[in-house]
Amino acid sequence: MINVSNLSVRLGGRPVIHGVFLEALPGALTAIVGPNGSGKTTTLKAISGELSPSSGAIRINGRDLSGLKPWELALMRGVLPQSTVISFPFTVREVVRLGLAAGANADPAAHDRVTAEALEAVDLAGFAGRFYQELSGGEQQRVQLARVLCQISDPVIDGEPRYLLLDEPVSSLDIRHQLGIMQLARKFCERGGGVVAVMHDLNLTAMFADHMVMMKAGKVRANGAPREVLTDETMEAVFGCRMQVGVAPSPHVPFVLPQTASL
Amino acid sequence: MPRSEAVDRGMRLTAFAADIRNEWRAGNRSRLARLVIVVLIAVAVATFVGSIMTGAADASLANVWRWLVGGADQGLSIRDRIIILDIRLPRAVLGLLVGASLAVSGVVMQGLFRNPLADPGLVGVSSGASLGAVLLIVLGTAAFGPLFALFGFYALPVAAFVGGLVTTLLLYRIATRGGQTSIATLLLAGIALGALTGAITGILVFRADDKQLRDLTFWGLGSLAGANWTKILAAAPIILASLAVTPFLARGLNAITLGEAVAFHMGIPVQRLKNIAIVSVAAATGASVAVSGGIGFVGIVVPHLLRLVIGPDHRYLLPASALLGGTLLILADMIARTIVSPAELPIGIVTAFIGAPFFLWILLRGRSNMGL
Repeated sequence: MINVSNLSVRLGGRPVIHGVFLEALPGALTAIVGPNGSGKTTTLKAISGELSPSSGAIRINGRDLSGLKPWELALMRGVLPQSTVISFPFTVREVVRLGLAAGANADPAAHDRVTAEALEAVDLAGFAGRFYQELSGGEQQRVQLARVLCQISDPVIDGEPRYLLLDEPVSSLDIRHQLGIMQLARKFCERGGGVVAVMHDLNLTAMFADHMVMMKAGKVRANGAPREVLTDETMEAVFGCRMQVGVAPSPHVPFVLPQTASL
Repeated sequence: MPRSEAVDRGMRLTAFAADIRNEWRAGNRSRLARLVIVVLIAVAVATFVGSIMTGAADASLANVWRWLVGGADQGLSIRDRIIILDIRLPRAVLGLLVGASLAVSGVVMQGLFRNPLADPGLVGVSSGASLGAVLLIVLGTAAFGPLFALFGFYALPVAAFVGGLVTTLLLYRIATRGGQTSIATLLLAGIALGALTGAITGILVFRADDKQLRDLTFWGLGSLAGANWTKILAAAPIILASLAVTPFLARGLNAITLGEAVAFHMGIPVQRLKNIAIVSVAAATGASVAVSGGIGFVGIVVPHLLRLVIGPDHRYLLPASALLGGTLLILADMIARTIVSPAELPIGIVTAFIGAPFFLWILLRGRSNMGL
C-alpha cells in the first residue's frame, strides 16, 4: 500500500500542496483529478520520491520513502512522466530495454521476451527498429510506458505488490489507445499491483478508477469511489463550472462516451 | 585451404552479416557495436604502428626491433633508436591518450547535458583548463611555488584540471535548472567564458617573456610536437584514471538521456553520477590540455560519427570513442607533421579543418533534434 499522510511540498519557497492524505491500495487503480495547477503532478512526484516533502510522510509497503535508496525505489515502482524528449538517436528497442536494467529482471534469457511483451502490450509490436525521435508524441508516450512495464514487469514479487505511477498516461493518445492503456493499467491491478494515475478525462476515470482523489489548490477536496466523488456539487466546487453528472445532452447534439466501446 | 572449406567459411560470413542486418532492423545494435569495437582495436593498432614508421626522417623499425631484442650492431641503430623510441613513440602514445581522452570527455559531457553539441572544447571547458595552465606558466613558481612543491611535474595538469573543473561547474550552474539543460544557454555561456579566459590570457601575454610567449601560442593551437616521456608520465595517470571510471558511468548516462528525473525513477543516484562525470571530464580535459594545448572538435566529431553507426548506448559508445578518438588524433598528427615537411603544422589546425565543416554538417542535418 502507498500511504501519504499530511503531505506538504514547497516549490521555490511557495507551498504547492498542503496536508494531503491519500491511500493507494494494491489491486486498485487510484486516479488523481483536478483543475490545472491543483497539485496533481506535484503529489505524484512526491510519491515517486522525485520531490521531497517539506512535511508529512510517504510510505510504500510500510517503508518510509526517505529511507529508501534510488535503486530500492526502482524495484518497487515505475514512473511514467508526461513527456520525455531524447536528443540521441535511440531505437525503440533500446529505449524500452533501458527499463530492464533498472528492474528486478535478472535473467538475461527472459529479456527479449519481456521486451517483446511490453511492446505488444502498448500496441507497438513491430516498432522495435524505429527511431524514437521519428515517432509521434502519442507513440513516444507508449514507448515510455513499455519501458516502465519492463522495469516493473511483475505486479507482485515475493508477496510484495509493486506500483505504476502514471502522469497523464493517455493525454496524447487517440481514443482507442486511451482505452487500451487504461485496460492495461486495470489488468496490472487485477494481477495484484497498484496504479496511481493523474487523469484529465473524467469519463475515462469514472470507467476505470476504483478510487478517485479530487484536488483543488493543493488540497484534497473529495476522495472515494467515482460514484461518490463525481457529483454536481463537487464539479462546481472544484472546477468552478456548473455541470450536471449523468445527464445526456439534447438529442440532436452528438456525444460519444468511452463506456460504449466494445473491446 | 580445400575448396569446400573456403565456401563454408564464405557462407558463415554471409550468414553472420545477414544476422547483424536483421538485428539492426529489429533495433538491436549491440552485436554490431561489439564488432565495430573489435575492428576499431585493429585499426588503432595499425595506425599506431604506421605512425611510428612514417616521418620526415628515414628510420627502420626493423633495426629498432633488433636493438630491442639485443641482436643488432648497437652503433648502427642508435639514430633510428632515438628517432623512434624518443621522438615518434612518445608522440604516438600521447596522440592515443589525448585523442581517447578528448573523445571520451565529449561523450560524457554530451550524456550529462543530454545534448550532442556539448563538447568540452566548444563550451569553454578547454579554455578554462588552458587558462589554469597559462596562469601557472606565466606566474610560475613565484605565485604557485607550493603547488610545484606538492605536485612536482604534475603541477601543470593539476592547474589545468582545476581550471577545467571550475568552468564545468560554472557551466552546469548556469545552463541547468531543475534537471533541464538549455543547450542555447550552454553554448552562449561557453562563448562568454571563452572570451573571458581569452581576455585574461591577453593580460598575461603582457607579463610573459619570449619563451613563455611561445608556450602561450602553443596552448592556443594545440600540438603534439613537444611529446616526451616526462609529459606522458605527467598526463597518463590522470587520463587513464578518468577513462577507467567511465565504464561505471555507462548505465547512468544511458538513463540520464531520458532526463534526470527519469534516471532517478530508474534507480540511478543522479547527483553522485553527475559529480563523478564532471570531475572525470575536467580531469581528462585538463590533463590533455596541459600536455597538448587546445585540440578542438575531436570530442564532437568522434561520438557523433559513432552514434550514427552503433547508436548512443554508452556501454559501447565509450570504448569505441576512446579507440576512434586515439586513432584519429594519431592520423591528424601524421598529417600535421608530414604535409609541410620538414616543418609542421599545429595539430589543432588540422582537427579544426576537418572538424569545423563536420560540425556545420551536424547542425544542418539535425537542428530539430538538438534542442536548438
